[in-house]
Amino acid sequence: MGKRYAMVIDLRKCVGCHACEVACKSENNVPLGVNRSWVEELETGKFPNVSRHRLPRLCNHCENPSCLNVCPVKATYQLEDGTVLVDYERCIGCKYCIAACPYDARFINRERKTAEKCTYCHDRVAAGLLPACVNTCIGGARYFGDLNDPQSEVAKLLATEAVTVSKPETNNRPQTYYIRADEKALRPNLLNIVGGGK
Amino acid sequence: MITVHFFDVPHEIYWGLLIALYFYYTGMSAGSFILTSLGTVFGIEKYKKVSKVGVIMAIVLLLFAPLHLLFDLSQPGRFINLFTHVNLTSAMSWGVYLLILYPACLMIYAWFLFRQDFVKGLNQGGFKASLYRFLLFGKTDMSEASKENDKKQAKFFGTLGVPLALAVHGYTGFILGNVQARAIWHTPLMPIIFLMSAMVSGTGLFIIVLMLVEKFKFGRLNEDIKALIADIANLMKWFIVVDGALMIIYFIVLWYSSESGYAAGYFLLHNEGWSFLGLENILGMLVPLLILLSKKARQSLPAVVIASVLTIIGVLAMRINLVIGGQKLPLTGSKIVEYVTSGQDIAIVLGIALAVIVVLSFLYSVLPMNRPGAQERAEIQGNKTIPTTKGVAQ
Ligand code: SF4
Ligand code: SF4
Repeated sequence: MGKRYAMVIDLRKCVGCHACEVACKSENNVPLGVNRSWVEELETGKFPNVSRHRLPRLCNHCENPSCLNVCPVKATYQLEDGTVLVDYERCIGCKYCIAACPYDARFINRERKTAEKCTYCHDRVAAGLLPACVNTCIGGARYFGDLNDPQSEVAKLLATEAVTVSKPETNNRPQTYYIRADEKALRPNLLNIVGGGK
Repeated sequence: MITVHFFDVPHEIYWGLLIALYFYYTGMSAGSFILTSLGTVFGIEKYKKVSKVGVIMAIVLLLFAPLHLLFDLSQPGRFINLFTHVNLTSAMSWGVYLLILYPACLMIYAWFLFRQDFVKGLNQGGFKASLYRFLLFGKTDMSEASKENDKKQAKFFGTLGVPLALAVHGYTGFILGNVQARAIWHTPLMPIIFLMSAMVSGTGLFIIVLMLVEKFKFGRLNEDIKALIADIANLMKWFIVVDGALMIIYFIVLWYSSESGYAAGYFLLHNEGWSFLGLENILGMLVPLLILLSKKARQSLPAVVIASVLTIIGVLAMRINLVIGGQKLPLTGSKIVEYVTSGQDIAIVLGIALAVIVVLSFLYSVLPMNRPGAQERAEIQGNKTIPTTKGVAQ
């Protein structure tokens, strides 16, 4: 069986330092104002019953990526190992993929003038290194590896821990697995945002 | 439960005014074409008078519509990739071919509608005659057989144009409808809602264009055109009824769907209330419907003009509410995504609108827009003894 890359993020170990965000920016030369990888943080409850949650986000390298399905020129493509990439030479910048991704993972790089997103640090991985965010994570919360290799850390974690993904209902089959993620962080609380809640 | 996001990154709305306007133009093109094909294709005699006005309007609107898309691309120079790479799962990729086939079909159809008039116009000399000669491509045969052929071909290409018009606008409904990430777009009704609102706005704009063309070409609105406008206004009433019914069905099902669907419905009613309820549905649908319910109003030109203008504004608001409003609801994070129209986008929109007006006026003034029933003016002026234009638009 070929490789299937995935990421597992153990939120018990995430300290909310945003180092992954910064490492990604510098590794991939991501312009100001946009992010390939970021961390959401929120607080819930009322003193003294409160808790604080974090949710690192990045492209989920979905098994059934909506971004790929809608791209009119097939500039978005998927490798055998599951990595979803954008061909920067072919992308026309129609932004359909950005509108269709359920995870806000994409943006337009105003310097390159194409769609862009996390590549799982494709060049690093090809050279046998870990993605920059995984490499830099001071809590050791991020794991990256091959799900089809039962000895890989990600496969072991998936086998032994309870995991969730963001918005499983989308049929995108996202491949970022969270351990102990809070439901309030996994999706926007729309009723709070637009109103209409009880 | 109180939840406070204290760290989040900003996101942007990437599909703005230009995309909404693109949908709007293709819609009006399809709507006005389908309406005026009632004569040639469906054989409803009185509509044959206006087929020519309608087809020119449909062609020009459709040729300018994709310019909005082109200007919206981050890499406009690469638009050619749309032709060299096909992705069958992308509704946008389907559209590329429709955007070529549809206007091509319409142009052939228009040519057969106009051919005999081009031939008749040859002897007047000047710029028009040279233009007609060029456009005729040497096909000046005026025998009965070739006239019969014109009629047959016009009917064939007009008939082909109807499903293409449905497709060229229906596909834009799929562009939004296929996006499962956004409850507000993700409904099988989307292509049908787009088509029906396109019938409404296409008819509205057509009425106004028709009035202007008749006024400038023939100096006044003849009784038969006035009667026809009342007739079209009656059709528009029914289009609004169906469009309104679809909108209500859409909204009810949205309200009772998932949490994001309900939130989207709530958002439309409250946050976007003035635009969704006020502009789109009350001013753009209810008011024109109430006006057009009265037979008297349908026979009064000012009332019909007001109703038409309102539908044109209402459907524009609808496109904007759906395209831009749909992206204001966040997919991650905790904030409504804000949209700011850029000055550049507004300039492009106005520029294209101006170009459309200029090109339409030019075409209507140089093309032979005579029609069955409109030869009186020529008779009055005495340049022709026997009207020969009868039936040319068939
Ligand atoms: S997260 Fe978004 S951009 Fe990444 S593969 Fe999935 S749909 Fe595409
Ligand atoms: S912006 Fe680029 S990658 Fe995204 S859908 Fe358009 S062409 Fe494809």
